[in-house]
Amino acid sequence: MSARPTTPASPKNFQIKGPQPGMPLYGCEHVQRLFNQDQATTNTSVQHYKAILRNILDLPAMQAQTAKAMDSGAITTSLTPTYLCLQCPSILSEEDLAKHGSRKSHRFYVDSRSGALYCQMCEDIVWDPTLEELRQRKIATGTFTPRRKRKQDEMLAADPIKDDPKYITNNTTLTSCKANGLRGIYNAGATCYQNVVLQTFLHNPILRNFYLSDRHSSSSCDIPYCLSCAMDDMFQDFYAHENTNGYTAANILSGFWISEKKAFENLVTTKEQDAHEFFQFLAEELHERNGDGMRPESGSEHSCNCIIHQTFYGKLQSTTTCQNCSGVTNQVQSFLDLSLPLENLAQKKGKKSGSGSKATSMTLQECLEEEYIKQDKCEYRCNSCNSMQQARRQTSIKMLPNVVSIQLKRFEFKQGRNERAAKIETPVHFPLTLNMLPYTERARNFNTKEYPEWGRAATYDLMSVVVHVGEIDTGHYVSYCRVGDQWFAFNDHKVELASKSEVLGAKAYLLFYIIRSLG
Amino acid sequence: MASDPDSTGKAGVVVAPPECSALEKLSHSVLDDLLYNIVHDLVLNVHREEKMARARTAAIRIEKMAADASESSTPDSRPDVRIETDAAIYEDNRVLLKGNPLKTTKDILCPRCHLPRLLQPTDGKGAKKQDPSIIYCKKHPYIEKAGHDIYGQTWVAPGPGRGKKKKDLEKKLDGADPSSPAAAAEGTIKDRPAHVLSFPSATCSKCKRCILVTRLNNHMGACIGNSGRNASRTAAQKISNGGSNGGSQNNDNTPPGSQRGTSLPASRAASPRKRDGDEFDEDADESDPTNPKKKKLKPTTLTRKVVLKKAPSAAGTPLAATKKDKVKTSSMLNMEQKIDADDGKDLTVQVASKKVMPGKGGHLQPRS
Repeated sequence: MSARPTTPASPKNFQIKGPQPGMPLYGCEHVQRLFNQDQATTNTSVQHYKAILRNILDLPAMQAQTAKAMDSGAITTSLTPTYLCLQCPSILSEEDLAKHGSRKSHRFYVDSRSGALYCQMCEDIVWDPTLEELRQRKIATGTFTPRRKRKQDEMLAADPIKDDPKYITNNTTLTSCKANGLRGIYNAGATCYQNVVLQTFLHNPILRNFYLSDRHSSSSCDIPYCLSCAMDDMFQDFYAHENTNGYTAANILSGFWISEKKAFENLVTTKEQDAHEFFQFLAEELHERNGDGMRPESGSEHSCNCIIHQTFYGKLQSTTTCQNCSGVTNQVQSFLDLSLPLENLAQKKGKKSGSGSKATSMTLQECLEEEYIKQDKCEYRCNSCNSMQQARRQTSIKMLPNVVSIQLKRFEFKQGRNERAAKIETPVHFPLTLNMLPYTERARNFNTKEYPEWGRAATYDLMSVVVHVGEIDTGHYVSYCRVGDQWFAFNDHKVELASKSEVLGAKAYLLFYIIRSLG
Repeated sequence: MASDPDSTGKAGVVVAPPECSALEKLSHSVLDDLLYNIVHDLVLNVHREEKMARARTAAIRIEKMAADASESSTPDSRPDVRIETDAAIYEDNRVLLKGNPLKTTKDILCPRCHLPRLLQPTDGKGAKKQDPSIIYCKKHPYIEKAGHDIYGQTWVAPGPGRGKKKKDLEKKLDGADPSSPAAAAEGTIKDRPAHVLSFPSATCSKCKRCILVTRLNNHMGACIGNSGRNASRTAAQKISNGGSNGGSQNNDNTPPGSQRGTSLPASRAASPRKRDGDEFDEDADESDPTNPKKKKLKPTTLTRKVVLKKAPSAAGTPLAATKKDKVKTSSMLNMEQKIDADDGKDLTVQVASKKVMPGKGGHLQPRS
């Protein structure tokens, strides 16, 4: 057990969670007995549980995985779970549980790999509301104390009247349990590139919460053919209605057609288009409708507080070091997505392995490393040397967004005469959980091992995958989105269950990773 | 597991062959332990979900009994009674578990609507027939069946309206006079099981015409106008002509004059109508009163809402005189009428589909 003192950090007595409708007060009768002995027992039990969780989650796994056999005294470290006694500092193997219980009358143990509570009298894992809340919070945020001001709250400024639970119940009509946001979107004629992006927006929890909490209400917006209103209507249709039929994104489509964005004029045709371009279009359009109205010029450090910036925008810093005078120039740019070229890396890897011209597969981390860790050479005009000089340039992420959107550049123009763009089919393996810390500026300047909380803040979970099937100039887009732990495949109006292996085996074009904890 | 002399780990699945090196035994043992951990984690997750759902079910059930037992009718106050079931005790406004909910409670109640959850899908993989006497929570397990979506739906196979050949083919299959939408609609209803959906139509937000969804993009390209060389010209012409023909404007090369068709039901404009959804509005009908938006209804937006044209829920009687088109989100037609009057500025072109059109045979193609 950890060396932390077991006396409570604050003199306050620990209160177990109060009764809530539809929820039992305790995990089982035996936990109930434990918590009802006296306040001191409750305090020490909770303190012990917290100490055990800290041990399991913060310290090297070696400690909690090492048990001492009761009879022989032999010390064994195992890969499989051991059990940490809640009432004393013993760590026991599964075989010794019963013995320890009968000798010491200790009945509660914590699973060393998950932190789940095992009740010996139930002979089962119990999920006590009070302890489970502690466990979940510790896993999610790394701390037991709830943060008052979460990012999300700042994002959606609180309203004292509207946040009152009574006000909410009095003004709420519960939506049907059937309305779950899982619907297809009809293909209105070569619009699958829109549908896939819309699905990733629909299953983005940040955007969903924004629209479902009425932050852009289509009833109070006067802008004709406003795309944000169309989004608002679409979110309502997906999450408030029982319809299981496909959705007709007519308002999005007309907003898109009517949009005056000159940069996207070539997009507005009835031909098949690039989903990534549509993503950029939609993001910028929604930024204009919800934000400060300024056009986000690429290359500038422009940032605003709109939902799109809060969700997708991060900042890149490129550091250029002059090879002549060693002068350093820093430049910061905001980015909507990270575009990763595949062509060069595929060739480089292929040469290294000697297996021919191109690599058979790559990983997403390799691509990110190539862009955001490695340096490259360039020529630039050095101010202090006042001449063109060779320079080293390194780009890394200065600020991570809440949703990291990654484009794998599968479509690239080849240099040379008459050669058209080609699609790169090399599979890129991507993980369900992505640690973005190595690609940040912090990782370049600090030893990240000293700051474990940074790793936690840079942990992302895969949220959506957009896949293009077919040739470069014709084909079809499908997408995968995660709802809770279940993946779904969206193919226009058709929604099907998808397995994780199906998702991870897809030849991704766009990847969306969402931050694990907003804490 | 270094000290474990056995040739396998805790799961006992990956077993090292006898008479192999110690390292080989160790690696088998490690692999076996890892396998054990993966299964352990999976089982633990399912256990948590299931046990907590059952515990909540026990709590919901006993709270309801307590509420029924107490005289007070105020829903907010928690009744001061003591009730005991096999699974829980209700005492001092608290719910205490009795025994292991995995043993005492067999079903799961939805924590939102308090109706029992259907535990097996109704079709496809792992399907089981549901008990018709029980009203289940509307959240059903998703269906896994080839060719069907998660709700067990399929769509009319040859995307109607996509190319002439397919269309002709479908007309033949319908076995009815293609020029008569009523007859065609009747044919499709007979042939089609309830879970097969057809493609709906939507109104173009510019010209307010009703367009089959698969053609919407083409239509908007022509109607709104950045598509095609003289698209805007034709669009302007069409608007000035009153847009009499809804079906052929996706052809940019057709001179505007020739697009002026007749408004008879036999015109191409009627073709999307006959395959309109005849069944999926059953959902909408029952949900309309119970399922308004979470927030207050936003009447002004109704004028802009996508209009799915739907037949009444009586799918077997497509020619019923009560046939009317509805705004998707609401059936409060009188209210909409009022809004139309209030908010007329949005409606320079009247959306015909909002009107009740009683007894007009089968064809209700709005002509605006």
